[in-house]
Amino acid sequence: MATDLTHIILADDDEDDRLFFTDAFEELKMSTAVTTYKDGVYLMDYLNHPDATLPHILFLDLNMPRKSGMECLKEIKANKRFDHIAIAIYSTSASDEDIENTFVQGANIYIKKPSDFGKLKKVLSNVVTTNWQYHTNGLNRDQFLLKL
Amino acid sequence: MPLKSVYNAPWFVKVVFVISLFVVFFIAGIAYKHITDLSKSQSLVVHTYKVNVELEQILSYLKDAETGQRGFIITRDSLLLQPYLKSRNNLNNSIAELKVLIQDNQEQQKNLRELSIAIDQRLDNFELASSYIFNKPNNAAQFDKVFLLGNDYMQDIRNKLNEMIALENGLLEERQASYRSTLKFTPVFLYGFVIIVLIFMYLAYAKINTNLEELRLQNHQLNVFKESTKQSEIINKHGSWRWNVDEDSFHFSDNLFRLLGEEPNAFEHTIENFMHFVHPEDVKKLSDSIERMRHEKDLPFVTYRVIHNDGSIHYLKAYGKSTIDRDGKTQLLGTTTDVTEDIAHYNTLELRNQELELNNKELAAFNYVASHDLQEPLRKIQTFLSRLKEKESDRFSESGKTYMARIDVAAGRMRALIDDLLQYSRTNKADAVLKSSNINTLISDAQQDLAEAIVEHDAQITVANMPKMLVVPFQIQQLFANLLNNSLKYRAKERAVIISIEYVLIAKSEDERIASGHFAQYHKISFTDNGIGFEQQYAEKIFTLFSRLHNKDEYSGTGIGLSICKKITDNHAGFIFAKAAPDQGATFEIFLPKRQ
Repeated sequence: MATDLTHIILADDDEDDRLFFTDAFEELKMSTAVTTYKDGVYLMDYLNHPDATLPHILFLDLNMPRKSGMECLKEIKANKRFDHIAIAIYSTSASDEDIENTFVQGANIYIKKPSDFGKLKKVLSNVVTTNWQYHTNGLNRDQFLLKL
Repeated sequence: MPLKSVYNAPWFVKVVFVISLFVVFFIAGIAYKHITDLSKSQSLVVHTYKVNVELEQILSYLKDAETGQRGFIITRDSLLLQPYLKSRNNLNNSIAELKVLIQDNQEQQKNLRELSIAIDQRLDNFELASSYIFNKPNNAAQFDKVFLLGNDYMQDIRNKLNEMIALENGLLEERQASYRSTLKFTPVFLYGFVIIVLIFMYLAYAKINTNLEELRLQNHQLNVFKESTKQSEIINKHGSWRWNVDEDSFHFSDNLFRLLGEEPNAFEHTIENFMHFVHPEDVKKLSDSIERMRHEKDLPFVTYRVIHNDGSIHYLKAYGKSTIDRDGKTQLLGTTTDVTEDIAHYNTLELRNQELELNNKELAAFNYVASHDLQEPLRKIQTFLSRLKEKESDRFSESGKTYMARIDVAAGRMRALIDDLLQYSRTNKADAVLKSSNINTLISDAQQDLAEAIVEHDAQITVANMPKMLVVPFQIQQLFANLLNNSLKYRAKERAVIISIEYVLIAKSEDERIASGHFAQYHKISFTDNGIGFEQQYAEKIFTLFSRLHNKDEYSGTGIGLSICKKITDNHAGFIFAKAAPDQGATFEIFLPKRQ
């Protein structure tokens, strides 16, 4: 049973956002296992542990204390062990600069946090059901920012 | 007028001088020849008279001899024979004299020889006649015969002498005639030449006079120019100076002294006196550049400070350039300007720039706060609100539900305001990069952004074909998106939305509203809708930030959309104007410069 689960990790310093995130997956009733970390340092400590179960999809907030989402992204992309993790940027702002930089660093998708719970559920279910293997093949700049 | 051009030629006076000189030499030559001829003619006359005198002398000697002989015949006194005895010697002398005088005249020599023979015959006849008196006094008949023969001889001599005198006179006449003919024309020639020379000299005089007049005029103009230069130096606060490098002498213009706060010529024109005014910290800088000038003969701009006697500090800027004067000496011509005010302006500008930069930084910081920190709590309010509606709305009273709906609308409005403000501040000139863009593509992209609303209101949009333009693509797309959004928002409820976008290329002069533009040609894009329009008096007001013509309960505008349009056309050095009437639709005219 456990092997069928889609492992999902969120790193976000905002407690409310972590709550919305877990609530959304709870209501979606998909076979997912969601873990959250409150900053980049905790996240990387977990990922770098040799026995760690690596997530299928990693959601990264950009603006975090101690270690930002961008730093985590760089570290993950520099490590072969994490090659199969799909990375979704999950941020409040969607400035051209942030979108450009994360795209260049190899993130798979950019999600601007919705301001409606219904929309949030829709976005998350879209991301989880995407076949990332297929998606990365045709990766381009226009599809990077997730539009609903 | 070739004559006039000759007269005005710069070499004219020289040519006249040379011609005059030649004519004077010529006249001197003629006069010399004339005088020589005169003296020759005189010596000819003297020569003729000498010959004639000598011939008369011969006749006179013969007469003396004849008289003596006749006396002797009558008196038989041999004392009376003395003149006859002397005459022989005298005659010989005279003939010898004559021989010398006429040695270059063949005919006279022949005559002289004949004369000499005749004289000898006459003298022999004297001898014979005398011998009859001494030896045969009785033979009277023989004596008479000899005596009469002597008379005939005498007549022959007279004839010969007259002939010779006539010949000599004729010769004299002939030679004098030839001299006369030469001499007759020389005065006419001389007179003519003198007249010509006088004419030339008059022309030369007139020419020199005109030249002098011109010189005087030019001198006057030069003086006027000098005066105006002095005035311009005072007004423009600059002074000039000359440095004769070889002699190391300086000349300062009047105003250069004034730049130092001194009266003109207040001190001697030397570099040491000038240096006395230079700010101690700048003395080395100026000395170095003067030293460099001495070697490189060219001074780059140098700015230095001077201290006036009243203690005030002034900034001067100097520039020099070397020239070679008429004597081949090196001369540096320089200009010095008072740039105190310029430097003060520059400093003020620099200060303002710094303030502006600080302001920009603050603005950027504000942008970040607006984009991130303000959005986050708002997003949470909205998300919690959506959760509340979904999970708890059953438990709310009717008024509670109304309040919640009101909170939802207010939060949505705040989100729209933040988004629009962000967009407005992002429409910055700094990150504008002009690209050759297909405007039709940009418009269809803008339509794509609003596809949902366009379909919802069944809007019909026609777009004319447009050429490529040099624009900032995302800004122009934004411009059309805002205009489309505006038209959809302020549509007339009772009719379907019709929007048409026209294009025409016009010259700046064709529309007085764009007279202040800097380009010759403009792309004019007219965006027309059939919406509710507005009063023409608001045509300018609608482009100012936060200005709205309608109550926000009726129409959901933030008052930012058209301000963004205006900002974008401003960024492109273009224009945007609105024309409208209530319920008649609105036309937005966009002018974008045609760039090469």
